[in-house]
Amino acid sequence: MAVLYDAPGPRARRRIAIWSAVSGVVLAVLLGLGLWQFARHGQLDAARWAPFTQWPIWKYLLVGLLGTLEAAAYVAVLSAVAGVFLALGRLSGVRVVRWLATGYIEIARTLPVLLMIYVTLFALPSVGVNLPLLWKLALPLTVANAAAFAEIFRAGILSLPRGQSEAALSLGMTRAQAMRYVVLPQAVRHVTPSLVSQLVSLLKDTSLGYVVAFTELLYRAQVLSAYNHLLVQTFLVVTFIYLVCNGSLSFVAHRLRRSSERTHG
Amino acid sequence: MQALLGDLGPLLQGLLTTLWMAVLSAVGALALGVIVTAMRVSPIPVLRGVAFAYVQLFLNVPLLALLVLFVFALPDAGLLMPLPMTAVVVLVIYEAAYVAEAVRSGVNTVALGQAEAARALGLTFRQTLGSVILPQALRAVVQPVGNVMIALVMNTSLFAAVGIVELTAAANKTNLIHAQPIPIFVGAGLTYMVLALLIGLGTGWLERRVAIVR
Amino acid sequence: MKGRVLLVTAGTLAVVLAGCGSGGESAVPPAGGATTSPDLFKDAPVAEAAAILPGSTMERIKQRGKLIVAEALDAPLLSQQNPSNPDEVTGFDADLAKLLAVYILGKPEVEIVPPATETREALLANGTVDVVFNTYTITEERATQVAFAGPYFESGLAVAVKSGNTGIKGVDDLGGRKVIVGANTPAVTEVPKVQPTAQIITFGTDPQAVTALLQGRGDAYVQDLTILASDAKANPQLSVVGNPFTKEPYGIGLKHGDDDFKKFVNDWLKKVQDGGQWAQAWKSSLGTVVDSAPPTPPAIGSVPGS
Repeated sequence: MAVLYDAPGPRARRRIAIWSAVSGVVLAVLLGLGLWQFARHGQLDAARWAPFTQWPIWKYLLVGLLGTLEAAAYVAVLSAVAGVFLALGRLSGVRVVRWLATGYIEIARTLPVLLMIYVTLFALPSVGVNLPLLWKLALPLTVANAAAFAEIFRAGILSLPRGQSEAALSLGMTRAQAMRYVVLPQAVRHVTPSLVSQLVSLLKDTSLGYVVAFTELLYRAQVLSAYNHLLVQTFLVVTFIYLVCNGSLSFVAHRLRRSSERTHG
Repeated sequence: MQALLGDLGPLLQGLLTTLWMAVLSAVGALALGVIVTAMRVSPIPVLRGVAFAYVQLFLNVPLLALLVLFVFALPDAGLLMPLPMTAVVVLVIYEAAYVAEAVRSGVNTVALGQAEAARALGLTFRQTLGSVILPQALRAVVQPVGNVMIALVMNTSLFAAVGIVELTAAANKTNLIHAQPIPIFVGAGLTYMVLALLIGLGTGWLERRVAIVR
Repeated sequence: MKGRVLLVTAGTLAVVLAGCGSGGESAVPPAGGATTSPDLFKDAPVAEAAAILPGSTMERIKQRGKLIVAEALDAPLLSQQNPSNPDEVTGFDADLAKLLAVYILGKPEVEIVPPATETREALLANGTVDVVFNTYTITEERATQVAFAGPYFESGLAVAVKSGNTGIKGVDDLGGRKVIVGANTPAVTEVPKVQPTAQIITFGTDPQAVTALLQGRGDAYVQDLTILASDAKANPQLSVVGNPFTKEPYGIGLKHGDDDFKKFVNDWLKKVQDGGQWAQAWKSSLGTVVDSAPPTPPAIGSVPGS
């Protein structure tokens, strides 16, 4: 939003350059200090990092990552689709539909996910419903995230100027057509940052899989740190893996949005 | 069950801890998140870069990993803080990234003409942002920010893993003595649910009050 | 900008890893080095056909072809998964579970379901697992929810401090001090009983508690003696002081009210104790960190609740 400030003149440019340099130096000094202290406590010792140069350890962690990604993929697709329908339901003119959708969203949004996992783990088997392990984790996450996605979509739809849907209706479109061709595409584009946020948050929620003994990355990190007694190093490595994985996701989403903006304007 | 009802003291104590930590973290996260969004759209490139890196870093890493690193790695990097303070700081930093993202999508929904008009009137960057853009952006994102606040309250339960005795830790401790997981954990779950419901109702009311009628 | 952030992080890691050029072989050794000797199962007792009562839990397990056990994957010397070979889970609890599988099925076919400590009773109650082998201390409250076979081992809570800390010599010196304990372990209730003025700080996992102790967040760490011994062996900065101050009898968790299965498992326990497999399992796991002969196993049914 370069529209928020004037293009900087020579004096402003010099001021910006000075402040950039100063803050850059301060950051570098702080980082350097932290790393030096770290090394002094022996945390940068070669022996502590050596286990992470071995392929079996990486394989162990990456298999965990695959589990995380698999669960997250199912949950993301299912809950996003459900979220769109729930959002539309909540904005519907039919009172019953609106009540049902609102009720579901308010309840699902406020139930702790851990509790829902416990329900699929304990309550369901006692009435005969014993789901495969992946779905013991994926079902509660879908139920919870559908409500979250619904709220994000609803905020996007409501943030559009009313003129858009009015124009669509005056062109002779039905409400459904107006929603599908005019309102929803723009609404989704507006809230893409929130959507990607939710997607990443969903991916991290898969770490609740430890309750159902689902093989995912964070639990494997705990097992590994119990095995090699290297708590800090293991968690730094796993943090890095999450950063790369989720960062790439955000990057891809960013790229997609850029290209769609270029074609649709 | 009777013995359980007589032992509610620690659970209520845990609930109190959850509440004050959640409120403290929420205030901090909101403030920090808005500041980060302002940095993101500011004219100084270094600030823009730092804000971008900050949001990307804390959005992409699970809270549990961050908690473990802050509590156990930071002392070795020279910073040893008391546990509750560390936990609140981690949660503030973590949730502020989410608040920043939500507010940023709000800023995007504000019509371009608003910023242009503000500049045409001669308002500085700070005035434009503070008096024109942010008020409208914040009003557009009440629900997503409400979501973030609910997630914040749920995330306080992770503090149990690093020694803070909040509601979940108190529930675990009580279960250790009484071995009655169903009533204890359903009770704790329902308590979290009530808290989230209150936040949900609050944001619904707030949204209706500040909704921009277009 | 994002690329730059990644580059810096990757660069830092690369510099650090490059620093261990010649140290490829000197990886930090795993805890205690628990190994399962392959002939542990060669002479292990197998139940006669008459012992597998029709319609019983044993028969169901035999028909299924594997024993489903709730045991940890991150408890060194007790049941620890080897990340380099995830199918390999070694330790005292793990070996005993495999021996029980051999008794019922003839081969050590075991499926492991790692429980969170609060889910153990429910996992037994709804039949998701057959047995719990998870340093499951026998208490009377728990005995109202699950049945316990055994006890199969008796341990105790002990105190560990940072090496060189001469101020604390045992549990009696813990008054008014900051004491670290593991969440959901017996220490949470036992330490206040013995030292009401001690300030308790809980951490979720053992590696976290050890790191916290070494960083000065507490003066002492109270945990099961076997776990402390394994930590002390892997980390010379940690020392165990004093003697165990409680008795923790471990039991095998079974579904509540299943008396046939309880008798069956107790019979098996007696047989492996007499046959030497119990002592052998102990020696190759817990025995690697303690310099003594295998202890005598506790008498079956000797603890209230078992």
